[in-house]
Amino acid sequence: MAQAAQLPIITHYTAYKPRPFTREQRDETTILYGGLTWKHERMMQGALHNLKYKAEPLPNIAREDLDAGKELIDVGACCPTIFTTGSLVNFLKKEVNEHGKDKVNSKYVFLTAGACGPCRFGQYHESYAMALDGLGLRDFRLFLLAQDELDQGPGNGGGLDINMPMSLGIIWSILCGDLVTDLEYMTRPYEVNPGQTELVLRECVEQMYDRFLHRPDKGKKYGTLAWHLMSSYFTRALRDVRKKWDAIEVDHLRVKAKVKITGEFWLQTHEGEGNYNIKRWLESEESEVIAPPVAVWLHYLMHPTIRKLEHRNAKSKHPKVENLALHALERIYRGTYNRFRKALANLPHELPDQEELKSLAEPFYHFELRGGEGHMLIGKALHSYHHKTAHMICELSPYSCMPNTMSIGSMANVVGKYPDLLYAPIEVKGDAEVHALSRCQMILTEAKKRAQAEFEGVMDKTGLTEKAIRAYEDKHPETRKATYYVPHRAYAGGAANYVAHLAYDKGLARA
Amino acid sequence: MRFPTLPIWSAKKRSVASVPKDKNKDRSQVRVGIPKVLNIWTTHQFWVGFLKSIGIESENIVFSSDTSEEQGREFGKGRGTVDCCYPVKAISGHYGELVFGQKKKINILLSPMIHSLPSVLHGHVVDTVTCTRVMAGPENIKAGFLKERDVFGEAGITYASPFVSLGDRHMVTEQLHTSLKDVFNLELEETERAVKAGFEALDSFTEKARKQSRDILTWCAKNQKPCILVLARPYHMDTGIGHEIEGDLQAHGYPILWLQYLPGDEDLMNWLFEADMQMGRIKSPFDISDVWMSSYSSNTNEIMWGAKVAARCPWITCVVRLSSYECGMDQPTYTPTQKIVEATGTLFFKFGDLDSTKPAGGIKIRIETIVHYLAKYSQKIMQQKLEWLSPNCPLGPLPAFAPPDAVQEGPAVAQQVHSSPS
Ligand code: SF4
Ligand code: SF4
Repeated sequence: MAQAAQLPIITHYTAYKPRPFTREQRDETTILYGGLTWKHERMMQGALHNLKYKAEPLPNIAREDLDAGKELIDVGACCPTIFTTGSLVNFLKKEVNEHGKDKVNSKYVFLTAGACGPCRFGQYHESYAMALDGLGLRDFRLFLLAQDELDQGPGNGGGLDINMPMSLGIIWSILCGDLVTDLEYMTRPYEVNPGQTELVLRECVEQMYDRFLHRPDKGKKYGTLAWHLMSSYFTRALRDVRKKWDAIEVDHLRVKAKVKITGEFWLQTHEGEGNYNIKRWLESEESEVIAPPVAVWLHYLMHPTIRKLEHRNAKSKHPKVENLALHALERIYRGTYNRFRKALANLPHELPDQEELKSLAEPFYHFELRGGEGHMLIGKALHSYHHKTAHMICELSPYSCMPNTMSIGSMANVVGKYPDLLYAPIEVKGDAEVHALSRCQMILTEAKKRAQAEFEGVMDKTGLTEKAIRAYEDKHPETRKATYYVPHRAYAGGAANYVAHLAYDKGLARA
Repeated sequence: MRFPTLPIWSAKKRSVASVPKDKNKDRSQVRVGIPKVLNIWTTHQFWVGFLKSIGIESENIVFSSDTSEEQGREFGKGRGTVDCCYPVKAISGHYGELVFGQKKKINILLSPMIHSLPSVLHGHVVDTVTCTRVMAGPENIKAGFLKERDVFGEAGITYASPFVSLGDRHMVTEQLHTSLKDVFNLELEETERAVKAGFEALDSFTEKARKQSRDILTWCAKNQKPCILVLARPYHMDTGIGHEIEGDLQAHGYPILWLQYLPGDEDLMNWLFEADMQMGRIKSPFDISDVWMSSYSSNTNEIMWGAKVAARCPWITCVVRLSSYECGMDQPTYTPTQKIVEATGTLFFKFGDLDSTKPAGGIKIRIETIVHYLAKYSQKIMQQKLEWLSPNCPLGPLPAFAPPDAVQEGPAVAQQVHSSPS
C-alpha cells in the first residue's frame, strides 16, 4: 500500500470499552456481581472480601427488572438477558438518583461471566453495554470473567486481578453454595417446624461467609491451589454446617413428588421472580425439588471430551501431557466435590458422570453441539429416568432461547421412546406466570399420583404400617433428623426409599 | 452403572443397502438428498465436491427446493417439535420433500450439523462457529421424523447427520470419516481426497462470486453509480426466507451485493480501512474488535464486518438488513449495525421479523421509500465518502459526478450474486 497522507478523522461507531480500573482505585471501588443464588453470592462475597475487594451482589431479580431491561435493549432478547440487564439498570438508576452519575461511575465496577461462545450467553455484555449507553453511563466499568481460565492476570489497569486465589475462591464458593442449596431443598419439604430450615440455612451461610473471609493467604499460584485441594479448612466448615443441620427435625414419611429442575443455566439456577419462583411454588404443591448445581455446568466446561473441541486450534507442544493433566484435573474436581459431600454426611447428590450423560444423550443430541447446556438437558432427563432419582423433569426454557429450543425439540424424540418419562418443558417469558405454572401443574398431578402409588406399593410390599414406623422412630430419634442418611433404593420418592430402608436395612420388615 | 445407548434410535449408524461393500465401491446409483437450508447456502459447493469425489453422480445429488409455505404444508405438517425461528422451523418441510416428494427415491438424507464455517474473517476474530440453532437444527428436526416411528427407515432412507467444523479444515476429514464411513462405506484416504475436492470446489465458487461482486463495484466506481448491500444471513438468499426483497430493489436498477460475497481483496480493503489502521483503531481490515467484542459467531461477525465495509465504501449508499422473526443471534446486533452504517450517512433499512408469509403490501411501500431515498441521496453519500478516502482508488480512475438529475440506468454487469444450489 502506498504511503498515504493523513486522512480525515471520521467518527465511526465504536463498541463499549471499559475505562481502566486501577490498583489504586481498588479500595474505593465496589465490585458488583450477580446471576446465582443469594447463598452462592454471599459466600463469593466472603472470598472477595478476603482478597480485600469491596464487593456486593446485585439485589435479587424482581419482576420490574424485566421492564427496565426491555426498555433499553433491542427487542427479542431471551429473558435471562433481559432480567439480568434490567437488574443492573435498576440498581444503577437508584444509585444515580442518590449519588449522581460521576459518583456511580467511580464507585462501582460490574463483573460478569462471559467469553462463552455461540449463544447470547457470550453476548450478555453487549446488552449491558447498550443499556449503559441508554442510561448515559458509558463511563461505568464492566468487566468479563472468562469461565475457563483460572489465571487471567491483572487486566485493564490492575484493579481487578483475576488470579488463582480469586478464581479458586469463586469456584469453592460455588461448590459450597451448591451443596448447601442441595441440603436446603431436600430438607424443607419435610421439616416438622415450618421455617426452621430457612433459619438454620441463614446461619450456615453466614458461617460459610466467615470461613471464606478468613481463608488463609497461601500465595498467588500453585501454593494456593495445593492448599485448596488438600486442606481440611472447608471440610471442617461444612462439618459444622452438618452439625447445625442436625437440629432440624423432619418427617421422612411425607409423600412428595420429586421434581428435577433442568433447563437453561441462569433460569434453572435462579431463585425468584425471574423464573416465577417456581422452585418454591413446586414445594407449595407437595413436591420436593432437586435444584440443579452450578457445579455440573463447571464440570461440563472442564470435561476433557467436551473441551477437545474448544482446543481445536490450540497449538500445543505436548498434547498428550495436556490431555492427561485435563483428565487428572477432572478427577480432582469430582474428588473435591465428593470430599465436601462426605463432610455433609453424603446427603447432597453426586455429580453425574459426564461420559454417561454424553452416551445417554448420544442418539438424540450430539455432545459437541455447544450453546446453553448442550446435550446435558437430554442426558440429565434420561439419567434421572434410568436411575429413578425423580418422578418428573421440569425443564425451564427461556422464551426465544436458541439452544434450549433445540434440545426441547429433540426431547420429542426422547419422550416418544420413553412415554412414561414425565417431562414438563416450561417456557419462561417473565410475565406469563399463570400459563407456565398451570402447564407444570398438569404433569405434576401425574407425578404426585406416581409418588403416592410408589409409596403405597412399598408399604404393601414390606407390610410396614405408619404406626410401626413411628414407634421405631421414637426409639431411634436420629431418624427424625434432617441429616439422617436414607440410601437410594430403586424408588424416586424419598418416603418410599425411607420405608424400604427401615424395612430391609433396619430389619423392620421382619419385625 | 451406565445405561446402554440406543444407536438404533439415532438413525445415524445404519449402513445403506444400496452402497456396495465390494472393493469397486461403485456409488453411481446412490442418490443423496440434501435439505437446502441454513448454512448449506454458503457451503453447498463443498458437499457437491465431496460427494462427486466419492463417486456420486451429479444427477444423483438432490437439493430440496427453496422454502415455501406449500412445501411446509405438504411435507412438514405435524413434524415440528418446537416453536422457533422460521429458518429452522421450515427445515421439516425440506426433510419431508426429500423423503416423500421425490419421483426417484433418495437413498441417503444428508443433513450436516455445521459447527463452524469458513470465513473471510478467520484468524481475525475469536471464532467462526455457527448459531446454536444452525448446528443443532438437524437434531431437532429429525425428532419430528422419529418420535412416533422411524419415517426414514420406513422409506428405505439412511439418515446421515455428520457433525462437521468446516471452519477448521484440519478436523474435517476425521469428522466426516467417523460419521460417514458406514453410510458410504468410506476409507480414510478417499475421505481425505473428497474433503480436499470439496474445499477446492467451495473455494473456487466463493472466489468467483467475490470476483463478480468486485466487478459490480468496479462498474459502480467507473460510472459513479450506487449499489445496495444486503446484510443478512446466508439463508436469506432462499426466496421463501428472504422473500426476494433484494430482487424487488434490483428491479429498480440498483445492483445488489450480498455480504457473504463481498470482495475481501487486500488492495480494496486496505484502501477502505486505511484511516482506521492509521489511527490504530484496528489491526487489519478484517478486525472487528472496534465494534464487536464477542466475535464467536461466524455469520454475526460477518454482518458486523459487512456493516463496516458498507459504512466506508462510497458506492454502497444503502444497506438493507434482513432478519428472521425470533432470531436470537440477530437480536443484539440490531442497534450496533444500524449505528455503524449510519455513522457515515449511509442509508439503512431493516426488514425484521421475516416469517413464512411475504408481507407483500408492506414490502412494496418500503421498497418505494428506499428507492426514493436512494435516488435523492446516493450522489451526496458517494461524494462524501470519497472525500474521506485517499485518491488512490484500486478500482480504477474515478470520473467526475454527473450533474444531479441525470438518468439512472442499470449496469450491464449488475446481477445479483446469488449462490442458489440447484
Ligand atoms: S442459553 Fe438461551 S437463554 Fe441463555 S443466554 Fe443463551 S440464548 Fe439466552
Ligand atoms: S441465526 Fe437466527 S435465524 Fe438463523 S438459526 Fe440462529 S436464531 Fe435462527
